[in-house]
Amino acid sequence: MQNEKRVATGIPGLDAMVNGGFLPRTANLVEGAPGTGKSTLGMQYIYEGARRDEPGIIFTFEEFPEQYYRDAASFGWDFRELERQNRLRIIMSSPEVTKADLENVGGTIQNLITEMGAQRMLIDSITHFEGLRQDPVESRKLMYGYLNALKRQDLTMILTRETTHLFGEGLEGQLDASIQFLADTYIMLRYVEIESTVQRAIVVLKMRGSGHDSTIRQYAIDAHGLKVLQPFEGQEGVLSGSPKRMTESFMKAFVRR
Amino acid sequence: MMRREDLTARVMKDMDPELFDFLTTYVDSFIKWDLLRFFHENPHTMDTGENIARYAGRTAEDVLTELQDLARQGLLVEMPVENMQVYMLKADPTIRTRLQQFVEATQDREFRRKVIYHMVRH
Repeated sequence: MQNEKRVATGIPGLDAMVNGGFLPRTANLVEGAPGTGKSTLGMQYIYEGARRDEPGIIFTFEEFPEQYYRDAASFGWDFRELERQNRLRIIMSSPEVTKADLENVGGTIQNLITEMGAQRMLIDSITHFEGLRQDPVESRKLMYGYLNALKRQDLTMILTRETTHLFGEGLEGQLDASIQFLADTYIMLRYVEIESTVQRAIVVLKMRGSGHDSTIRQYAIDAHGLKVLQPFEGQEGVLSGSPKRMTESFMKAFVRR
Repeated sequence: MMRREDLTARVMKDMDPELFDFLTTYVDSFIKWDLLRFFHENPHTMDTGENIARYAGRTAEDVLTELQDLARQGLLVEMPVENMQVYMLKADPTIRTRLQQFVEATQDREFRRKVIYHMVRH
């Protein structure tokens, strides 16, 4: 698996964090609070794929497709044109319908994937699956079956998941062990308060079958999309949302060597 | 007194024949008009009537009948998925072009007036 060609995200700085890209046929979870840029990251992944002749599909369970067309246009990505070229399809649906359709041999989604030659998918967001089953074991089974059905179609996916806390507080309570287990890569986006300004942090917590960058990095969203920047330096407790400056002696001993 | 057919003919006389045909075939209620706009703006929607009603901000009861009508008339596809009935806009490029032309035409106040006249008459 290590030697397989990677699926480059095309997002500046992110590919270096994930050793050149995602492994093919994997489900890659991006989790963060509202406004952290989960959908932007996912759209950019799909856009970069379409540019590289790797068509993509977006499943939206939350936003209207017209919102994606508009948001993408603000970054200069013409999603309507990509749809005309059959390199993108934004499907508004619900988890229960897509799940049932995927289980059918020759279902609408399977036919579409084949017809487009789709290689990438964004599921925005899997938070909507959590309401389908009360029992966590059943919920995990459902998600497992869903992701396997998509992997069977040779898709490399980004799944977004929303957390309710804006900063790092209550972190442990939010982590859904089953989603962590099912996802091949687990990327976390966080707001961080440093010297009275809000900054954004990205970290790759897990990447099954591959090494990855373990530093916590800053990222920014500008007119061209999301880009990963340098690691936070001289700070500790970044994921808590309120990092503290490391002592100078610690910095000298361990960081600036 | 002018006959009803004559008045209709006068109101609709300068309308593009294809638009007129689209209007008389598919649009006979405000809910259908809403649904046409919804499918134009979100052309790859694939969902149950209940969910589409929620997206459109209408009651499922009202929307289901209209979705079934539009499917019968060939604008939408209605298909069973497991134990659900799912609706999608037909992929036929001619239908999609006509729908686009209709939605674009409704930007014009005079055209909207004619659509309303047609629906009220219906």
